[in-house]
Amino acid sequence: MTEATIEIRGVGKSFGPNRVLRGVDLDVGRSQVVCLIGPSGSGKSTLLRCVNFLESYDEGEIRIEGELIGYETTKEGRRTPMRAQRLREMRREIGMVFQQFNLWPHMSALANVAEPLKRVRGLGSDEAEERSMAMLKRVGLAEKATAYPSSLSGGQQQRVAIARALAMQPRLMLFDEPTSALDPELVGEVLEVMRSLAAEGMTMLIVTHEMGFAAHVADSIAFIDGGRIVEHGPPRKVFHESQEPRVRQFLQTYHDRNAF
Amino acid sequence: MHPEVVLNSFGYLTQAAGVTVALSLAGIALGFAIGSLACIARLSRKPWAKCLGGAYVSIFRGVPLLVQLLFIYYFLAKIGFDVPALVAAIGGLSLASGAYQSEILRGALNAVPRGQSEAAVALGYAPADIWRRVLLPQALRISTPPLINEFILLLKASSLVSVVGIAELTRVSMNIASLTYRPLEAYVAAGLFYLAINLCLSGLGALAERRLAVGGKA
Amino acid sequence: MNPEILWGYAPSLISGFGVTILCWGAGAALGLAIGFALALAYETSFAPLRWVLRIFIEVFRGTPFLVQLFLLYAGGPYVGLRLSATAAGILGLGLYSSAYFAEIFRGGLASVPRGQIEAAMSVGMTPLATMSRVRVPVALIAAVPPIVNTLIVMSKETVVLSIITVPELMYQMQTMAAETFTAFDAIFAMAVFYWLLVEAVSRIGRRFENHATAYLASPI
Repeated sequence: MTEATIEIRGVGKSFGPNRVLRGVDLDVGRSQVVCLIGPSGSGKSTLLRCVNFLESYDEGEIRIEGELIGYETTKEGRRTPMRAQRLREMRREIGMVFQQFNLWPHMSALANVAEPLKRVRGLGSDEAEERSMAMLKRVGLAEKATAYPSSLSGGQQQRVAIARALAMQPRLMLFDEPTSALDPELVGEVLEVMRSLAAEGMTMLIVTHEMGFAAHVADSIAFIDGGRIVEHGPPRKVFHESQEPRVRQFLQTYHDRNAF
Repeated sequence: MHPEVVLNSFGYLTQAAGVTVALSLAGIALGFAIGSLACIARLSRKPWAKCLGGAYVSIFRGVPLLVQLLFIYYFLAKIGFDVPALVAAIGGLSLASGAYQSEILRGALNAVPRGQSEAAVALGYAPADIWRRVLLPQALRISTPPLINEFILLLKASSLVSVVGIAELTRVSMNIASLTYRPLEAYVAAGLFYLAINLCLSGLGALAERRLAVGGKA
Repeated sequence: MNPEILWGYAPSLISGFGVTILCWGAGAALGLAIGFALALAYETSFAPLRWVLRIFIEVFRGTPFLVQLFLLYAGGPYVGLRLSATAAGILGLGLYSSAYFAEIFRGGLASVPRGQIEAAMSVGMTPLATMSRVRVPVALIAAVPPIVNTLIVMSKETVVLSIITVPELMYQMQTMAAETFTAFDAIFAMAVFYWLLVEAVSRIGRRFENHATAYLASPI
C-alpha cells in the first residue's frame, strides 16, 4: 500500500469552549473498513463529518488520497478555506450515508438516486436512470423504484440512501450510524448491504453501535472517548485484549444491555 | 326582506366582486414577490439586510391595515405623486401581504429538515442547485396551504380599500345601501359574495393540500 | 407634527384610546365567552346543531369584519336591533372573534389525550369535574398561543370601528386631522403609535404564553 485513502493527522475541533476533537490521528487504507465506536458525545460523528468537511476542523489535516480537504495552503504557508468548486468535486468522490437517511421526500426512490447523477455528474436522463435502476437492484429494491420515501420502511429508505451514494461511484464511503434510527428487525437488511460492499473492496469509515457487525467486518476498530482515540487496532485486540478501562467499561455496558 | 333590491343590482355587485378578486390577486402576487425578497433578506448573512427585512415584517404586520392604507394614500399625496387611489390600494395590500408571506416562506424553508440539504452537500451539489432541487420544491409545497389561507385573509382585508373610494364589493354594497335605504339586504348580499369566493378558495386549498401530499410527508 | 395641536387634542385622543381599550377588552371577553360556549356545544352528538354551528363559524370567518359591522350597525335597526356605534362595535368584535376562538377551543379540547379523560373517570370524577379540572386546563395548553395571537389581531381590528363612527382613537385622530388639516402627520403618528402598541402587546403576550405553558418545558 503506497498511501492511505483517508489520512487524519492531529485533527482538533471546538464548538465554542467545548473541545470535541483533540489531536486525532487515523488512517484508512484502500479497501479497508474502519469502524469508529465509543460513547455518545465522544466526537465520533463529528470526526466522520470532518472527513467530507460537512464540519470544519480547526487544527491538523485530513487528506483524501493525498489531497487536503477543506483548506488550501498558500505560498506563504497560510491556510485558507478551499475553493467551493474544488470542495464539491472532492465531495463527489466521498459517499455519505446518514443516520436519518435524508432522502428527498418529493422524489421517488429512483429519482432520489438519479437526481445527483444528472445534476452533479451531468449524465443524461436515460443513462442516469439505467444506472440508478441497477443500483436499486443491487440493494434489493428494484421493485420499489417508483415508491416515494414516505411509503418505504426505514430499512428500505436507508438502502435507497446507500444506492444514492453508491451510484456516484465514490472512492470511499462514510456511514454515520446508519442503523441507529431503525427498528431492530430492519437493521439486518442494511448491514447485509454494507457487508457485501466491504466484500467488494469498498473503502469504508463507519460510525456504529453494531458491535457484532464491527467485529466481523472491520479491519480495524477505533475507540473514541472525549475527542481522542483511546484504543485502535484489529477487532480482536479492541474487543478482547484491551487494557484501557474506558473501553472495557463501554463494552461491559454494551454486553449488559444485550444480555437476556 | 326585499330581495328585489339586491336582484336589481346583481350585475353591479358581480362586477364589484370581480374588482375585489382582481385587487386581491394583484395584492397576493405582488405580495409574493415582496415577501420572497423580504424572506431572502431575513435569511441573509448580511446584518443590514437581516435588519431591514426584520423591520419591514415587524412594521407591516404591526400597523393596522387601515392605517397603512391611509398612510400610503396621504404619503403619496404629500410628496406630490398624483396616483390613482387604485395604485395606493394595491400597493397597500401587497406591502401588508408581503410581510405575512415572507413569514410563511421563512417558516416553510425552516420546515425542510437540515439533513435534506446536508445530503445534497455531501453529494457535491452547488448551492444554487440545492435551492432549486431540494429546498424550493419542498418549501413551495409546504407553503401552498398557508398561502391560500393568506389569500382568503387578504380578500377579506381588501374590503378596507373601500375607504379610499374604490368600487369593490364593500364600497358598492355601501352605495346600494344608501341609495335604496336597504342596508340589511345590501350587506347580506355582499357577505354572500365574499362567502362564495372564499368557499371556492378553501376548496382549492383542500385540493392543493391533497395533491401536494402525494409522495411527500413534507 | 405640531406638538401644540396634539396637546390641544389630548383630551379627545386620550378618551379615544380609552374607547379603543374598552372595545378591545369587552369584545375579546365576549368573543372568548361565546367561542367557548360554541366549542362546548359542538361536542353534541345532535348533527343538525353541529351544522348550524359550522355555518355560524364559516360565515363569521368567511366575510370581512367591516361588512359584518355594517350589517350590525346599519342593518340591525331593520330587525329591531338598535345599537349605539360603540355597542355595535363591541358586539361585532365579539361575534367576529368568537368564530376564531370557537375553532381554537375546539382544537384544544380535541387535543386532550383520551387517556387523561379516562384517568379522571377511573378515579370517579364527575363529568363536570373532569371538564373543569382536566379537559379545560389541558386544552388551554394548546389553546393559549393561538388565543394570544387572536387577541393581537383583534387589537389591530379595533381601528376598523372608526368607519362606523365609534369614537375610538383612530376616529378621534381623523377628526383632529380634518379640523386642523394635518392628515399626513396624524396618520404617521397613528402608524407609529399602533406599531409600538402591537409590538408591546405581542411581547407581553409571548411572555404570558411562556409563563402559561412553562411546565411543559420541564422534563417529564
